[in-house]
Amino acid sequence: MQIGWIHVVDFRNYRTLEYSPTPRLNLLIGPNAQGKTNLLEALGMLIAGRSFRTSRLAEMPRWGVERSTISGELVRGDGSAGRRVVRRTLTKREDDRWQNAGESVEWARVIAFGWQDLEIINGAPGARRNFIDGFAGRLYPTHLAALVRYRQILARRNRLLQQHAHGDDAAARLQPWNEQLAAVGMELMDRRRKAVAALQTELARIYRALSTTRSKVEVRYWTALGEATEPAALLAALNRTQRAELRRGQTLVGPHRDDLAIEIDGVDARAFASRGQQRLVALVLRLAEVLPVAEAAGTAPVLLLDDALSELDPGVRELVLRELGAAEQVFLTSPETLAVKGAAVFQVNAGGIAPV
Amino acid sequence: MAYYPEPVARLIDALQRLPGIGPKTAQRLTFFLLKRPADEVRELSESLVAVKDKIVYCRTCFNVTDEDPCRLCADPARDARLLCVVEEPNDLLAMERTGEYRGRYHVLLGALSPLDGVGPDDLKVRELLARIEAGAVEEVILATNPNVEGEATALYLAKLLRPLVLRVTRIARGLPVGGDLEYADQVTLSKALEGRREIS
Repeated sequence: MQIGWIHVVDFRNYRTLEYSPTPRLNLLIGPNAQGKTNLLEALGMLIAGRSFRTSRLAEMPRWGVERSTISGELVRGDGSAGRRVVRRTLTKREDDRWQNAGESVEWARVIAFGWQDLEIINGAPGARRNFIDGFAGRLYPTHLAALVRYRQILARRNRLLQQHAHGDDAAARLQPWNEQLAAVGMELMDRRRKAVAALQTELARIYRALSTTRSKVEVRYWTALGEATEPAALLAALNRTQRAELRRGQTLVGPHRDDLAIEIDGVDARAFASRGQQRLVALVLRLAEVLPVAEAAGTAPVLLLDDALSELDPGVRELVLRELGAAEQVFLTSPETLAVKGAAVFQVNAGGIAPV
Repeated sequence: MAYYPEPVARLIDALQRLPGIGPKTAQRLTFFLLKRPADEVRELSESLVAVKDKIVYCRTCFNVTDEDPCRLCADPARDARLLCVVEEPNDLLAMERTGEYRGRYHVLLGALSPLDGVGPDDLKVRELLARIEAGAVEEVILATNPNVEGEATALYLAKLLRPLVLRVTRIARGLPVGGDLEYADQVTLSKALEGRREIS
């Protein structure tokens, strides 16, 4: 799929912006703090209705406004399979909270890469869970709704654990939450495992194509429940750990405690990889999403790559650009001009954009 | 608010405490009321007081009523073998509007909600058990909301009730009738698929 055009009003540092990208590689160049990442965020909002940078809506509207809008045209495949004009608005409500409105387009998908993705490699387990949940959500549209429900159940169960640390009826009170946690938790774990499996083949292929070494990258899903796939296994684990949970006042087993093991030649990537190598692995993880997501959605996703080439060797940059040449619509930001054959180059400057 | 005369400020303040009403709406309502004829406003204020004075909870089913027991509990035509458990009086009214259900009700006056500190003792659970122990009920239909609190409440009650009553059932989750499949959200659709039935 592609974005045909986008019209942004009062979003981040943009008052108004109209931009018609090309259906292939779009290079967005300009000095720092001119709005390159903000533009990527707007493009992502247009497609997915959510920001890849933040979950706080109040951060996105331009300072002082009551409403910000992003509208544009989403094109499926080469355009013969459908076009949809969508409009998304962020509106400040009477109680000062922001409301996000807009329809969802069932085939529209976006994959974003930014500096924060380094966290997937060397950050806390939460960053890896977010990564796999984001990917699983692009493959299976019900995944994010299940995740929201899981978090609701977890918050209530944890509160109950804190309130009833000494109560003798704790087990009876926890039971309805245990059952729900086990059912939704196993649903999440199942889809995360499928997502990891879908990533594997592409990950190996792309890493070999981009790195100048013969190393092999692997991702595995890690859970305290091992290979179990039945909610009963999670329910049993909850019952086993209940005493410790009551003492700590939090739920100690479930998908919210799981992790991904990311290894290069069998060694934990964060342990030995150099920063450049870690950045490359993070980028490859995102690029490996492309084919499975395209198959699930029936059309290729749009790629938003924020400063994806920095800290990479010149030789590796060339290989990344060659790989991107094979993708559908790509937006790549860079602080410096790059010579890329076939790319449309746009200069981003102080909240405006112009073709170079 | 310093600019408003005291009675105006007081009404704005009172309206603001209602759910879904912010300062702007409260102001708008206040100035709307100021322009209305006096009897109309008196009528409104009297009905506000009356609702608090005359309405009680039915001692059997805990529906809101102006007579105790309520009309539904007093009606001999209602099937005492069927008992539908709902969270709030509103849910009971929704069930009644279907015109299909001829059994009796039990209103819990809430749902299990650890975040609000609502446990089983804060709901009309003991009263529900007492009604079932009295004998006549053969099937309990758990019609709590399909959100996490409602689901937890249903699971909790199911476990308590199973040894006491012949059948414990949960209302189905699925598609709205008259809707289009293509407009159904994915979660509802997958739940509807889970709960599919053989067609005869």
